[in-house]
Amino acid sequence: MVGVFDNEFDLLQAFGKVKSKGLKIEEVYTPYPIHEILEGMGTKTRITHAAFFFGLFGALAVLGGMYYAAVESWPLNFGGKPFNTFPSFIVVTIVATILIVTLLTLFTFSARAKVFPGKKAEIVDIRATDDKFVMVVDASSPGYDAEELTALLKASGASDVY
Amino acid sequence: MEEKFIVPQKLKLLSIGLIVIGVIAFVVGLLNDPTRAWANYLLNNFYFVSLAIGAAFFIGIQYISQAGWSAAFKRIPEAMAAYIPFAAVLFLLLIFGVHHLYEWSHDEAVATDSLIKHKSPYLNVPFFFARVIVFFALWILLTKLMRRVSLKEDEAYSLELFNKQEWLSKVFIFVVAITFSAFSVDMIMSLEVHWFSTIFAAKAFVAAFLHGASIITLIVILLHRRGYLKVLNRSHLHDFTRYMFMLAIVWGYFNFAQFMLIWYGNIPEETHFYVHRMHGVYGVLFYANIVLNWAIPFLFLMPRFSSRSRMVMVPVILLLIVGQYTELYFEIWPATVHEAKFGLIEIGMFLGFAGLFSLVVVTYLAKASLVPKNHPYLEESVQHHF
Repeated sequence: MVGVFDNEFDLLQAFGKVKSKGLKIEEVYTPYPIHEILEGMGTKTRITHAAFFFGLFGALAVLGGMYYAAVESWPLNFGGKPFNTFPSFIVVTIVATILIVTLLTLFTFSARAKVFPGKKAEIVDIRATDDKFVMVVDASSPGYDAEELTALLKASGASDVY
Repeated sequence: MEEKFIVPQKLKLLSIGLIVIGVIAFVVGLLNDPTRAWANYLLNNFYFVSLAIGAAFFIGIQYISQAGWSAAFKRIPEAMAAYIPFAAVLFLLLIFGVHHLYEWSHDEAVATDSLIKHKSPYLNVPFFFARVIVFFALWILLTKLMRRVSLKEDEAYSLELFNKQEWLSKVFIFVVAITFSAFSVDMIMSLEVHWFSTIFAAKAFVAAFLHGASIITLIVILLHRRGYLKVLNRSHLHDFTRYMFMLAIVWGYFNFAQFMLIWYGNIPEETHFYVHRMHGVYGVLFYANIVLNWAIPFLFLMPRFSSRSRMVMVPVILLLIVGQYTELYFEIWPATVHEAKFGLIEIGMFLGFAGLFSLVVVTYLAKASLVPKNHPYLEESVQHHF
């Protein structure tokens, strides 16, 4: 069941009513982020933890790689400095760690969200890409009654229900 | 939203007691080892004026960015900025100790050392204190004007007053960028008169902003615990943490940038600063400085749950308080006292200045409604939520 709303307030009203009925809301598409929806959907993400460990891994890997190159594999004398010039490694470590975190987090996110280049976009309602608010309710959730839900969404101010 | 802060009698007595301890420690220090006493005097003076300047800058940033969330808490940085006139008097008293601290103030050093002679048109005692007077006059004038407009706003709603404060904030930020840079160079960097670092002033300013922001947060949390500032919620705490987190990173960046360029350039007139400070006790302080001011805030304030939790924030703030002391000790002691001495004089004088600072802050907190009444963003601040 898809409900299309013209404004945020109607959507929030319907969102609360549908939730209190115990129906499962599959997804809500809004033109801008709405706190109440973000909290109400109750979705949790672990991508921040993943990003932290990618950063840790990246920093250690870059430091290790530079140590190997500058000390073990190919020591060169730069103006009498020690081979292990730790302070000068830091700058490269910061920059390379940012790159590693960005790329690995992007790949993790893409893999989890199952998106890849060339994938055809799954658009529930074309108006969701414009200025409308679209709510999708799972038809298989217990207590689902198409007629009752249609009436409820219409009463909350939905401009289109199907 | 009238909220009146009443100064607890115990806190007042405690502050006065701490000031007495500080004065005793200073007098004992002067009699035994005047250089050490004056080094302490300079350190604590700079420490607390940094907090006040950082707090005033915090208000300025809120106004020019038109931030809504902080409107309910602006009386706390205002009260901290009220310390600046007291610091001005204390800094003028430095005239009696200037010969104990600054090598360039000795006539024989100017006569024999060509580098000091070269710098003497700028670094000489009359001009040094003339600068102190001008800087403090500007800071006092601007912070008092900001405070007056802010109190006027309590009487009646007016967008004009808000715009006026925004304008004053712009002027203050512009003025403080120049004056505080010169001030930190005068007070701390010129202790090592042969040494120079172009990022020193920026680092001192970021340290002031970082520690000022953390003290604001600490005062807000303490007031909330005593039943004031009921509007405080977890989103506000998160925003305060963002300031500390972001500024700790900037501080770490500047501190490392100063060290790495000097280390890599390896020019004797620059490296001697760190050569003295990388061995023995100072070597420990070098790493302690980085851990306290960067590593701990960075790691502990990063997770979302801890950035909203007082249980994590308060210990981190307490460590940052130690961190600012460590940084100034690390910069001042090797240049003046040489030997790393830490004892009752250091503790007593720090407590004395802390007592004065807290007495000024609570007195000014009690002078006006704790929550501003007609700030245009007040409602947004009360409702703040993300």
